[in-house]
Amino acid sequence: MKKILFSLLLLLLVAGNAWAAKKNLYVYCWSEYIPEAVIAQFTAKTGIKVTLSTYDSNEAMYAKVKMTGQGYDLIVPSTDFVSRMGKEGLLLPLDKKQLTRLGNLSPKLMNQAFDPGNTYSVPYMWGSTAMAVNSADPVAAGVTSLADLWKPEVKGKLLLPNDMRSVIGLGLKRLGRSWNETDPAQIQKACELLRPLMANVRVFDSDSPKQALINNEVSAAILWNGEAYIASGENPKIRYIYPPEGFGLWLDSLCIPKGAKNLAEAHAFIDFLLQPKMAAAISEEMGYSSPNLKAMELLPAEVRANAIVYPDEATLARGEFEVDLGRETERIYEKCWTTLKTGR
Amino acid sequence: MKDSRFFRRVVVTAILAWMVLFAFGPNLLVLLASFGHSRGAAFVEPGLSLHNYLRLLEPAYGRILLSSLWLAGGVTIICLVCGYPFAAILARTRPPWRNWLLLLVVIPFWTNSLVRTYAMIAILNANGIANRLLLAAGLIQAPLPMMYSDGAVLVGLIYALLPFMVLPLYAALERLDQRFVEAARDLGATPVKTFVRIIVPLTMPGIVSGCMLVFLPALGMFYVTDVLGGAKGMLLGNFIRDQFLTSRDWPFGSAASVAMTVVMGFMLLLYWKSNTRLSRREWT
Repeated sequence: MKKILFSLLLLLLVAGNAWAAKKNLYVYCWSEYIPEAVIAQFTAKTGIKVTLSTYDSNEAMYAKVKMTGQGYDLIVPSTDFVSRMGKEGLLLPLDKKQLTRLGNLSPKLMNQAFDPGNTYSVPYMWGSTAMAVNSADPVAAGVTSLADLWKPEVKGKLLLPNDMRSVIGLGLKRLGRSWNETDPAQIQKACELLRPLMANVRVFDSDSPKQALINNEVSAAILWNGEAYIASGENPKIRYIYPPEGFGLWLDSLCIPKGAKNLAEAHAFIDFLLQPKMAAAISEEMGYSSPNLKAMELLPAEVRANAIVYPDEATLARGEFEVDLGRETERIYEKCWTTLKTGR
Repeated sequence: MKDSRFFRRVVVTAILAWMVLFAFGPNLLVLLASFGHSRGAAFVEPGLSLHNYLRLLEPAYGRILLSSLWLAGGVTIICLVCGYPFAAILARTRPPWRNWLLLLVVIPFWTNSLVRTYAMIAILNANGIANRLLLAAGLIQAPLPMMYSDGAVLVGLIYALLPFMVLPLYAALERLDQRFVEAARDLGATPVKTFVRIIVPLTMPGIVSGCMLVFLPALGMFYVTDVLGGAKGMLLGNFIRDQFLTSRDWPFGSAASVAMTVVMGFMLLLYWKSNTRLSRREWT
C-alpha cells in the first residue's frame, strides 16, 4: 500500500515538473481587445501557451489584481490606473533589455506624467471618447456639438457611457474646463449642468454601446472610437464626431503586475506585439489607434485616412488625456455621479 | 452502530465547517468592514465608527433604498398574484400532467439567469420579436420603445423570479387538506369567504416563503437593471456593487449590505411574531 502511494506521489511530481516546463503566459485584458489570430501566431512562433482572461472595467481588473496579487502575467490598464497601481507598488518595473522594439513607438506617447520614463508601461492602444450620431434620424443628424445633446428633442435617443469620468467630463468640457478638473466648485457646476441631460438618456452602457446604436434603440451616443468604427462599418449612416468643446483621450498600456510568475514570457509577448505587422493588424481589427509609428505605414490607406481611428492633429489638439485625480477629488466626482444616476 | 455515529459526526462537522467558512465568516467580515474607512489606498482600513451608516441616511442614498423597496415590492405582489392561481391549478392537476407542468416551471433554471436576461433583449428590442409580431399584426405602426424602461426591468425581474414564488406555494397548496375546504362549504361559507378565511391562512407559510424568495433577490439582481433598464435606475444591488467595484469604498458598500440584511431580518422577525401569536390563538 505504502509502495503504491509512494510511486503515485513520484509520478505526480514528475508529471508536475513536465507540466511546469511547458511555457505559459496568463494575460488579463479588456474584452475584445486582442485579436485571436495574433495570439495564435505568438504561440506558433514561441511555443508559449497563452491563457486570456478579460475584464470590462479598470476597476474590476484593479480589484482582482490587488486582492489576489497573483495569477496574471500581463495586464492592460488605462493611464490613470497605471499611475495609481505604480504608486501602490502593484506593478513590476519592465526589463528594457528584453524589449528590443520600443523605438517603434511614437515619442509623443512615451515618457508621460502617468509613468515617467515608462518604468512600468508600454503603450498598447489609444483612442478617444467622443460622439456618434445616426444621421438617418433627422434629430440626431442635427447634433454637431456637445451642447446639442441637451436639446429637448434628443430625449430618449441618447446613450451615455456607464462611467463616471466620461459623463462628468462632458459637463466639464461644456464649461470649457479640463477633463481632469480638480476644483470642487467647478465640478459642482458641471454636475448641475449635467442634471437636465439625464432626462435625455435612454441607456447607460460602456460594455457594448455599438449594439444599441446599430439596433436603432438610440441615435446619438457618447462612446469609444473603436465602438463607433465597428458600428459605422455596419451602418454607414453612423458618423463619429469630435465635439468642438473638446473630448477625452485615453491610452491603455501593457504592464506586468506584481506577483507575475512568467516574466520572460510576458516580455516576449510585449516585444511580439511591438512588431509593426502585429500592431497594424490589431489596430485594423479593433478600430483603435496604434501608438506604433512603423505600424502606420503598414495600415491600409482607408484605415489610415479614417478619422474615427486616426484624427488629424488639429482635432487631436482638442482632446485631453484622462489622468488620476486622487482620492479626495474622486469622492466629489462619485457623489455627483450618484446624484445624477438617482435624481431622475 | 459505532460507524453510524462516526458518519453522523463527519457530516455534522462538514456542514458546520461549510457554514462557518462560507456563510458566517464572510458575513462577519462584511460587518467588520462596515465600521472601517477607506481613506488611503487600502480597500478597507479597520476602524470603529458609524459614519458609513450615517452616510446611508443622506437623501441621495435614501432615494435608492426607497425606489428599490418599491420595485421589489411590486415584483413580489405581481409574482404572488400570478403565481397563486398557477400553483393552485398545479396542485389540482393529476399526476402525469402535474409532473410535466412542474418540469416546465423548473426548466428555466437549467440556463443561467444572466444568459436568460440577455435573451430578453432579443424579444424586447426595437427590431425584436415582440415588436415584429405587433407590427405584423398591424397593432402598431412604429416599433415601441420597450427596452431600457422600468417596464422592461419589471418584466425581466418577474420572469426570473416567478418560479421562486410558484414552488413554495405549490408545496403549501398541495398539502392543504381538502376536507377543510369542504367543511367550510358545508357550513355555508361563500367561495370568497372560504378562500380568505380558510385557504389563505392555511397556505400562509408558502406565501411568506415565496414572498421572501422573490423580494430579497429582487433587491439584489443588479444585472437586470443594467441589461434591460439601461443602468438608469440605481437599485440597492447596483449601489452595493458600484461601491465595491467602481468607487472602491468597501466599508460603505458593506454598511449598505448590512443595512439590507437587518431590514430583511426585521421583516422575518415580524412575520415570526405574528405567526406565533396566530397559532397560539388557534390552540386556545
